Amino acid sequence: MFLLLYEGFGPLRDPIGYNYEVFRSIELTLISSAIAAVVSVVLFTPLSYYFARNKNSIGETLSDIPASIPHPIVGVAILVIVSPLTPFGKFLLSIGINFFDSVLGLIVALTIVSAPIYIKSMQPFFQSMNMAHENYAFGLGASKFRTFVSVVLPNSGKGILGASLISMSRAMSEFGSISIVAYYVLQQPFYGVNPAPVLIFQYYTYYGLGAAVTASAVMILVSIAMMILLRIVKR
Amino acid sequence: MIEAEVKKRLGSFSLDANVSDEHFICLTGKNGSGKTTLLNLIGGMLTPDEGHITLNSKEITKLPIERREVSIITPDSCIPHLDVDRHLVWGAKRKGLNVEHDYMTEIKTSLGIGFDGKVRKLSLGMRERVALATSLISKPELILVDEALSNIDNHRDFIDAFRNLAAKAKIDVMFTTQYPEDSSQADHHYRLEAGKSTRLF
Repeated sequence: MFLLLYEGFGPLRDPIGYNYEVFRSIELTLISSAIAAVVSVVLFTPLSYYFARNKNSIGETLSDIPASIPHPIVGVAILVIVSPLTPFGKFLLSIGINFFDSVLGLIVALTIVSAPIYIKSMQPFFQSMNMAHENYAFGLGASKFRTFVSVVLPNSGKGILGASLISMSRAMSEFGSISIVAYYVLQQPFYGVNPAPVLIFQYYTYYGLGAAVTASAVMILVSIAMMILLRIVKR
Repeated sequence: MIEAEVKKRLGSFSLDANVSDEHFICLTGKNGSGKTTLLNLIGGMLTPDEGHITLNSKEITKLPIERREVSIITPDSCIPHLDVDRHLVWGAKRKGLNVEHDYMTEIKTSLGIGFDGKVRKLSLGMRERVALATSLISKPELILVDEALSNIDNHRDFIDAFRNLAAKAKIDVMFTTQYPEDSSQADHHYRLEAGKSTRLF
């Protein structure tokens, strides 16, 4: 990593590596990864809590699958879902839902690949929570849902923030699935913009190592900032 | 009136307890004698291997915790992010009970709750006062107190006040204590030894 930073801003520096296009693609990656993390928080916080409090090996294995298969498969699967070749795909397209080369598709892919990381981070957090609080709330007559919303969630802010940053970092580094689903985005305000990992790959193939290393160095700076933020949050 | 005739095996430990009483019940025993296991069985955190539990003639053996009308309080019991006043009425609100201002004042005065602030920032003894008061205000049929009276200053005076308030609200209380002399303030006293219960009075 430090070698890339040194080479990227030093001997192998190529101005193409920090032109406007690079910053736009980092912006797209940051925004789409952040939205994917928010989607994970909304959809998978209750599931992580359920896994932490109940034994469900089938459910846990299913939630691990996206993390354990090659990610291009995730990309292909997403394309099959919205393919006009399938009735479901036809239906989605008829109501204007398109995952191919769209911000929506990018977010869906990033959510699928980063959600298992979110669940795996939240589960031990919930397991380490003192169950005396929940049992006390149940004893006061609160339902399981009410206890989750009014007792567990208000005391989980730090855990949720930490897990969502880890999951966002994972989404930022995704290449396999998004290179198939959204090699570039054909939607405003990001028309023609590639996600950062794809752009770095493209720079390598078009302009050679120098541009790719410089663009990588810029991206690494952003990732380091994320990691520092995560450390601060976790303290 | 709580009636429990339960057996439970946890690893090498085995509990075989029989309790049948009402009002203010004291449970004593050494560490590992099964006090907490018995309370967890009655509270619904554990399910007995054999036996049954009835509360005021209602079978509660297999009911989930939230439907038992049994409140359990340990030294960690509280809802940390709430302010004291919101905490006190939290359980009553869940049950749709209306809490009279005078009753609230009586409870706060009797149990020495003259402080405010977030519950998580209170000392252990203060937190226990708030948790016990919250349970009383939510009017369950039975309150189980697991070592949550010992950290309170002048705890014998506190036990007297708590006992009077519980009696007035017609709530049975079962409490464990590390001080055997506390049993003199109870209506009934059970001792647990290596998982076996004995009724002393």
